[in-house]
Amino acid sequence: MEGWCGMKLRRWGAGLLICGYLLLLSWGIIGHALKIPAAGNTLGYFVVWDMFCGWQAFDNRTHFIAEDSAGNYYRVQEPWGAFQPFGHVDRVNYDVSNQLAPRHIRNVLSHTDHPPIDRVYVVQEIWPKQFNVPDRLWSSYFHEPKDQQSYFNLRAICAADGTLIESNPDWYVAQGLKSIADNPRLRTQAQGASPFYNTFFNPRLAAEANSSFSAADNGLTN
Amino acid sequence: MSVKRGVKSLFAGLERFFFAEEVPYGLALVRMCLPTVALIPMFRRFFRVRELYSADGCPQQLAELFGNGRLLPELPAEFAAALYGVMLFALICGVFGFRTRLSFLIGGLLYIYFNMLDAIGTMTKYSVIAAHVLLILSVSDCGAVWSVDAVLKRRAGSGGLSALPVRVPVWPARLIQILFAAIYFGAAITKVQTPEFFSGEQMRYWLVSNWNWPNPIGELMALSPALLMISGYITVVWEVTFPVLAWRPLGRFVALGMGVAFHVMTIFALGLWIFPFICTTCYLAFLQESDIAAIRGILRRLRIRGGWLGRPRVIAAMLLERRPVMVPLAGIWLAAGLAVAVGSVEADYRLDVYGIRGNGALLALPAMDTATVRQMINSQEPLREKDKFFSFDIGSMVMAGQLANSRSQFAAGEVIIAQCNLNPPHEDLWVECVIQDAEDRVIDVAGQFVTRDQLFAKFNYMTAEKLVPGQYWVVLKSSGQEVSRRPFELTGDVSVEGGAEGMLSN
Repeated sequence: MEGWCGMKLRRWGAGLLICGYLLLLSWGIIGHALKIPAAGNTLGYFVVWDMFCGWQAFDNRTHFIAEDSAGNYYRVQEPWGAFQPFGHVDRVNYDVSNQLAPRHIRNVLSHTDHPPIDRVYVVQEIWPKQFNVPDRLWSSYFHEPKDQQSYFNLRAICAADGTLIESNPDWYVAQGLKSIADNPRLRTQAQGASPFYNTFFNPRLAAEANSSFSAADNGLTN
Repeated sequence: MSVKRGVKSLFAGLERFFFAEEVPYGLALVRMCLPTVALIPMFRRFFRVRELYSADGCPQQLAELFGNGRLLPELPAEFAAALYGVMLFALICGVFGFRTRLSFLIGGLLYIYFNMLDAIGTMTKYSVIAAHVLLILSVSDCGAVWSVDAVLKRRAGSGGLSALPVRVPVWPARLIQILFAAIYFGAAITKVQTPEFFSGEQMRYWLVSNWNWPNPIGELMALSPALLMISGYITVVWEVTFPVLAWRPLGRFVALGMGVAFHVMTIFALGLWIFPFICTTCYLAFLQESDIAAIRGILRRLRIRGGWLGRPRVIAAMLLERRPVMVPLAGIWLAAGLAVAVGSVEADYRLDVYGIRGNGALLALPAMDTATVRQMINSQEPLREKDKFFSFDIGSMVMAGQLANSRSQFAAGEVIIAQCNLNPPHEDLWVECVIQDAEDRVIDVAGQFVTRDQLFAKFNYMTAEKLVPGQYWVVLKSSGQEVSRRPFELTGDVSVEGGAEGMLSN
């Protein structure tokens, strides 16, 4: 009898587990297909299969440059050797959202010998990806000389403890903004408009003032 | 009545699908192979535990990337090293099937913990797949065959080594199979949502990225748009049909065979090494008892003996049997785990990640040249015209709206198709295509606006009767500057009657 009960319980337990797991996988697929924000969180990462969803035409590397009070510059790079997790690129370069930058700065500076640092510049280096093609392929496919040029973009300025002092748009965003700002009509309209934060009129405060006034005056409202 | 019967047969079918009993050979193979592959990148990171996963380093939690804050505790380096060692030990125990469930439960949870701690340099989608499978293995009977546990159990019982293997419900294997159906279906949805996947741009840029290991074949493929488009469509068709074919008697060989081919190609095309092996080792969950019998039959016919493969687990089991009677197996596991943890702390100390003890002091930061730095910091260099373009080519065949071949010789009367591929982001451009003869005399010019959302632009040139056989150039210009030029030779009879006057159109 006990064995039969145990078997039944195991079967029910397995059934519940299967149902739960299938629901979880379905949630990931449906959430991803319909782009429901509920699937775009930490747990969602485990059930959303969005492999290779993004791509860029330009390659980039991030440089961290420390400046001391005497105006000397230092490369904020692990002198013990940067970890390269998935190939021959340093770990910090896989941080597309630049969230690791403050910690990276703090970690390298706290474990290295250097004069007191005033600020750390975070610089993006960008180049078109076709220049990644090896020379032998370049010469057989492209007819132009391989004339690679890197572009640099000051992404942020941080303090020695990694605290953000100044932040600039990402190079890709900056390119998009430039192309929009290049439109004279839009530029004129943007210059003509004056977005502002109104400190003179606040509907909620006005409503509160009105309601207290009406309460005091026995129901008089405007 | 028939509806009731239909529902009943559906449930019976589902019950057969999930609870049919088989000897878990497939799962046992997954148990041995998957953690072995998953351990390779984790072993590499053992030398960097302090830096990647401890409070003395710079972990970046997955939850932080999603704006959920630091969900997990970041432990002092010594504790992180100890736990990391336990994770490696537990997964190795899982491979050999020693206290299998306990091993996978502890190893799997620690694997997820360490992956989530370093979302930049450890966590990837293959870690997610491995995490799913490790947790499924922890609730399965994957240790029922070909394991230390199984040998111990058989030797403790009356059957000895010749006892028949146990048969268990197949649902854990089914969950792994369903996981893969979901993965491929989800990946297909991602591709369907990315139009640039089908036009080849996305793959091209991935193939010329150097973010993974070297990928020489990928770089070659990147320069063949037709191949990219064809392989893109094949991939999506395979991913969508995988859930339909995977459980068909013959269909599963097609689905899994194509899967193996696809994943092997990603090694050479994308430079991925761990991802393909994580996936293909999980395919072993699709193996049925009858497949193993067939494989055994083939091996027997080929006179290949595999008995030695089981020797390590038998030796391990014999050693474990010599323990004092009052010490339970879990106690041995815990004692060994503790020893590994202590060893890991010692290893972390001796590895001296930051080089402080080896150097006798903190290592110095490398200095940089002031002029170089100032140029980097103050650079406002605008993008060169030629850097807005990926490539420029001429040919005669169009596939999915794009130039699919490359030619430098055309017969009189043929249409020459010139196409430039652009690197986004770019602004709205005025792009010109100029036909010049060998003496650089301009014959025809055509231009078109290429808006910021366009990834390529095409020009058709009808050679017709305007050109005589000879050498010519097609020159691509953007904002009045020459970006690229391609030579071509026009051959054939001058007197060929063309269908239309020579013209450039777009």
